[in-house]
Amino acid sequence: MTVCVKREELLKELGYRQAPDPRLLQLIDDVLIMMGDLAEYKSVYKEICDSEGLPPFLIGAPLKYAGAATLGEKLENRVKELFDKGKPAEAFILDTAGSVAVTKAGDMLWTRIKEDALARGFGKGLRRTPGCIGIELETQRWIFEQLADPGLGITLTESWMMVPRKSLSFLARFGGKLIKSFSCRACPRYSGCTLRV
Amino acid sequence: MDIIREIYDAVLEGKVEQASRSVQQALGSGVAASDILNRSLIAAMDVVGEKFGEGELFIPQVLWSAKAMQSAMDFLKPRFSSGEQAKTGTVVIGTAKGDIHDIGKNLVAIMLEGAGFEVADLGVDVTPERFVEKAVAVKADVVAVSALLTTTMQSMGEVVRLVRGKGLPLRVLIGGAPVDRAFCEEIGADAYGMDAVDGLRKAKELVKR
Repeated sequence: MTVCVKREELLKELGYRQAPDPRLLQLIDDVLIMMGDLAEYKSVYKEICDSEGLPPFLIGAPLKYAGAATLGEKLENRVKELFDKGKPAEAFILDTAGSVAVTKAGDMLWTRIKEDALARGFGKGLRRTPGCIGIELETQRWIFEQLADPGLGITLTESWMMVPRKSLSFLARFGGKLIKSFSCRACPRYSGCTLRV
Repeated sequence: MDIIREIYDAVLEGKVEQASRSVQQALGSGVAASDILNRSLIAAMDVVGEKFGEGELFIPQVLWSAKAMQSAMDFLKPRFSSGEQAKTGTVVIGTAKGDIHDIGKNLVAIMLEGAGFEVADLGVDVTPERFVEKAVAVKADVVAVSALLTTTMQSMGEVVRLVRGKGLPLRVLIGGAPVDRAFCEEIGADAYGMDAVDGLRKAKELVKR
C-alpha cells in the first residue's frame, strides 16, 4: 500500500497559504515524486486482551488495540544525504513530506482499526500516542512487545524513540469508561504547546 | 545595477550561484570584503529574518538564502586578514540526550553557518558531558541544545548545570517545539530560540554579551 501526499497538503504543512513562486513549486513537485520511491508504508495492529501491565489508557475498554505504522528508513536516509550534500531546502521539504505521509499512514491504520471495531459493534473510539498526556513514553516498549512483528522494521532506542523516525504507534480503545483524563487540557504546558492534538 | 545591490538581491532571493558569481565579480573589481559582508550579505539576511517573522517567507526560502550567503562567504573568508573578522562566533550544537530528532537542529546549524559562525555539530542523542567537553575543546561561545519532546528537554537543564558548575564562560541556547521562555528561565539557560531564525538572532545576541 502507498501513502499519497498532495502538493496542497505539503504546502499547508510548510506554512504556505498561497502558492509560492514557480521555482519552489517545481522543487516541491520534484520532492513529491522522489518521495514516491522512498516511502515504504507498512503497518500492523493487534487486539489487546486484559492482562497485567495494561496501560491505564486501555483499562475499562471492552475492545482495545495497539497499532504502529512506518514509512521505512529510505526516506530519512535520503533526507540526511540531501543535508550532507548541501541541499537543505530539499532535505527539509522531503522531511516535511515524510511527516505528512506518516500522519496519513497513522490515519489509514486508524481507519482499518475503526472498521474492525465497527464490524464488532463498536462505533466510537479513541486513540492516543505514547508521550501524549497521561501515556508515558515507556509505553512504547509495551506496545511493541504486544505487536511483536519484526517485519514492520521498527526498533526502539534506549529512550523509547522509534527508528525509523517516520514511524508512529498508538493505543486505541472502544467502549467503556476512561479511568482518568487523557486530555491535553490536563497538561501544565497546554497554553504554550505547539504539539497540541 | 550596483554590484552590492546585486549580491543583496541574490541572497534575498536565495539564488546561490548568482550570489557566488556576483561576489567573485565584486572582489575582482576591488570592492572591499567587509562592504560585501555588511551591506549585501548581513543586510539581506536581516531582511530574510524579518520577512520570515512576518510570515512572508517560509523555511525553504530562508534555507535558500542561508545557502546563498554561505556560498558567498566561502569567497569572502580568505579576504579577511586574520580570518577572525568573518567569524561571528563558535557554536557547539546537538540534539539533547535521549532525542534522535535532528531537523530543527540541522536548520539552526545551517542558519548559523550562513551567518558566519563556526559550527561543531554533535548530532543527536548527545550527553550533557559531551556538549561541554566539545565546547571546551573548540573554545565555543555558545552551546545550542535542541529537543523535540518534553521528556528529552529535561536534559537541557543538565547542560546548564554542568556549564555553571564548571564556571565556564559559555552561553547556553535552547530550542525545540516544547521549549518556551518559562522553561528557559526555569533551567537557567541564557536564551531560547522559538524557530531557526530566532535561534540565529539569539546566538548573535549571546556572542555580543
